[in-house]
Amino acid sequence: MAPEAKPLIAVESIVKKFGPFTALNGVSMNVMPGEVHALLGDNGAGKSTLIKILAGVHQPTSGQIYVEGSPVSFRSPRDAAAAGIGTVYQDLALNQLMSVTRNFFMGREIFSGPAPFGVMKIAEMDKITHDEMVKIGIDISDPTQAVGTMSGGQRQTLAIARAIYFGAKVLILDEPTSALGQKQQMEVLKTIKRVRALGNIAIIFITHNEIHSKLVADRFTFLSLGEVIGSGTKEELAGDDIRRLMAGGAEMKDLEQELATI
Amino acid sequence: MNQDASGRREADRLKAESGLRTLIRRPEIGSFSGMVVILAFLAIVAGDVVFNPLGIKNNLAIISQLGIIAIGACLLMIAGEFDLSIGSMIGFAGMSMAMMMKWGLPFGLGEATPLTAFLLTLAMTLAIGCIIGNIVVRSGLSSFIVTLAFLFILRGLTEVSFREFNDGSTQISGLPDFKQDDFVAYIFGGEAFKWIFELLYEIGWNVNRRGEQWVGGLDARVAWWIVLGFITYVVLAKTQLGNWIYATGDNKESARANGVPVRQVKIGLFMFTAFCATIFAACQVFDTNTADAAKGNLKELEAIAAAVVGGTVMTGGFGSIVGVVFGAVIFGLVQNSVFYISWIDGSYYRVFLGTVLLIAAFANENIRKRITGGI
Ligand SMILES: Nc1ncnc2c1ncn2[C@@H]1O[C@H](COP(=O)(O)OP(=O)(O)OP(=O)(O)O)[C@@H](O)[C@H]1O
Ligand SMILES: [Mg+2]
Repeated sequence: MAPEAKPLIAVESIVKKFGPFTALNGVSMNVMPGEVHALLGDNGAGKSTLIKILAGVHQPTSGQIYVEGSPVSFRSPRDAAAAGIGTVYQDLALNQLMSVTRNFFMGREIFSGPAPFGVMKIAEMDKITHDEMVKIGIDISDPTQAVGTMSGGQRQTLAIARAIYFGAKVLILDEPTSALGQKQQMEVLKTIKRVRALGNIAIIFITHNEIHSKLVADRFTFLSLGEVIGSGTKEELAGDDIRRLMAGGAEMKDLEQELATI
Repeated sequence: MNQDASGRREADRLKAESGLRTLIRRPEIGSFSGMVVILAFLAIVAGDVVFNPLGIKNNLAIISQLGIIAIGACLLMIAGEFDLSIGSMIGFAGMSMAMMMKWGLPFGLGEATPLTAFLLTLAMTLAIGCIIGNIVVRSGLSSFIVTLAFLFILRGLTEVSFREFNDGSTQISGLPDFKQDDFVAYIFGGEAFKWIFELLYEIGWNVNRRGEQWVGGLDARVAWWIVLGFITYVVLAKTQLGNWIYATGDNKESARANGVPVRQVKIGLFMFTAFCATIFAACQVFDTNTADAAKGNLKELEAIAAAVVGGTVMTGGFGSIVGVVFGAVIFGLVQNSVFYISWIDGSYYRVFLGTVLLIAAFANENIRKRITGGI
C-alpha cells in the first residue's frame, strides 16, 4: 500500500448490539479507493450487519465511521447514499410487483415539478435503465416487466447497475453471486472487475466462495462471531491463510479430521 | 454482447403483442368486465328506470359517495395498510360541521360559516389521521387493530358530543339550507354539471310529465369524485409520490433502503383517508342540512370492498385508481338496483356483493402470484 493512500471508508471499533445479543464487537476496517475488499466469514459472523451499518440501515451502538477522513453518522439510508455509499443487499432491495424502471429509480425518481408531486419522466427513465443494464451485460427487453418475473442474475444486475448509476463511491455487494448459475456468477465477477477498472470506486464484496474472492479481491477482512480475526492484502495472505480464516480460524487439517469422524 | 451461439438476443424473446392483448393484460380488466355485465343486466331488466335522467342522478350519487372514500382506502391499501376508522370519521366530521353551523365555532370563535366549519373540521380530522398514522408506523402494530380502536373511539366521541350539546339527541335536522346562498355550501351540497342536463332538456330527453326540465344536475359529490379520481390517478401512476406509494406497500424494507420515506408516505395516506371521509361528510351535511351520529356506519368496509373489487391487492403494492373507479360503480349500482327490480328481495344484493368480493379477491391474488412466482 502506498503510504499516502487514504482510506475511502474507515470503520473504527464498531459495536452493534441487538438487545442482549452482540452482533459486532469492536470491528475496524479500512476500505481503499479503487480496491475490491472482500469481507469474509461464516454464516452469522456479522457481515450483513456491518454493511447495514455502513449503509445507514442500522445505527451502531458505539464506534465511528469515517468517509474520506471525516466522521459521519448515518441516520438513514438516504444519508449513506448521499455520502456515496451504494448498497446491493442480499435480498437486493427490489420490489417484485413493480417494474424494472420503477425499481431502478425507486426513491430517486427523475421528475419535473414540485417534489413529491413531480411528474416522472417515464420515457427517459426507461431509456436510462435499459442503457445502464446493457453496460454491465444484460439486455432487458421490456423495462415495464415486473421484477418478480426476472431471473436471479437479471435482478442482481439491476441492483448493481442502479447503485453504480447513482454515483456510488463505494459499492457494497452482499453475496452477489449466491443463488446464481455459473455463467451468471462469472458475469457478476466481470462486472466487479469492470467497476474496479474505473479506478476510483471501491467495492466491498461479501461472499462465501473462496475462489470468487481470490479472483477479484485486492484486500481481505475476516469476521468471526462479530470480531475481526484477520485482514490483509492479497500479497500478504498466502492461499492457505484465506481458507483457514474463512472457516473462522479453524485449521483445515482439523476440519478434515472432524469430517472423517462423522 | 449477450448473444448466444445462434445469434439470438434477449430482446428477441419478447413477442410484440397487439393493442387488444395488452389491454386484456391490464389489471383493471376484471372490474371493467364486471361493470359492463352489471350495466347490461340492468339495461335489460330495468333499463327504463335506470337509464333515465333521474336514475342516472340517483345512481351516480351513491356511486360517487362510495367512490370518494374508496379512493382513499385504495391508496392506503396499495401502501400496505387499512383504515377501519373511515366510517366513524364520516360521522365525526358530519357531527362537527353540523354542530358548528348550529351553535357557532368552538372556543368562542364566533359565528360559523360553511367555510370555517369545514376548515376547522378538516383540521381536526387531518390531525386525527396524523395521530393514527403515527401510532401505526411507530408502534409497528397492525393498522387493522389501531384503526379498529379509532372506529370505536370516534363513534363514541361523536355520540357523546351530540348528546352533550343537543339535549340528548344524536341527530341534528332542520339546519337552514346554506347551499342556497353560500358558495362553499353549494360546492359540497349543490348541483354539478347543470349544463349537461340543460342540454339534455333542449334535445327533449330530460323532460318531466308537465313538459318542464326534469333533473337540474348531478349532486356536487360526483364532481368531487371525478376531481379526486383524476388527481389521484395522476399522482399514483405518474408522479414520484406514486412510485413511493407502490414501493412502500410492495416491500417497505427495500423501499426504505432505497431512500423512500415510507413512514411519511403512510402517515400522509392515513391523513388522506381522513380527508376523503371529511369530503364525504361535508357533501352529506350541506346537501341534506342534517347530521346523525350513526352516519357513515360500515362505510369503511364498503370502501375496502370497492377497492378490492377494483383490483387492489390486500397485501399492498398493486392496484390502480381506474380499477377502483370501476369497483365503486359496481358496488353503487348493485346497492341501488334493489330499488329498481321489485321482484328481487332487496337483501340479495348483499349476497351478490359478497360473492363478487370473493371472486375479485381470488383474481387479485392470482395476479400477485403470477408476478411474484407463487409466494
Ligand atoms: N435485527 C436483528 N435482531 C437481532 N439479531 C440480529 C439482527 N440482525 C442480525 N442479527 C444477528 O446477528 C448475527 C449476525 O448476522 P448477519 O446477518 O450480520 O450475519 P452474516 O455474516 O451476514 O451471515 P450470512 O453469511 O449468513 O449472511 C446473527 O447471529 C443474526 O442472528
Ligand atoms: Mg449476510
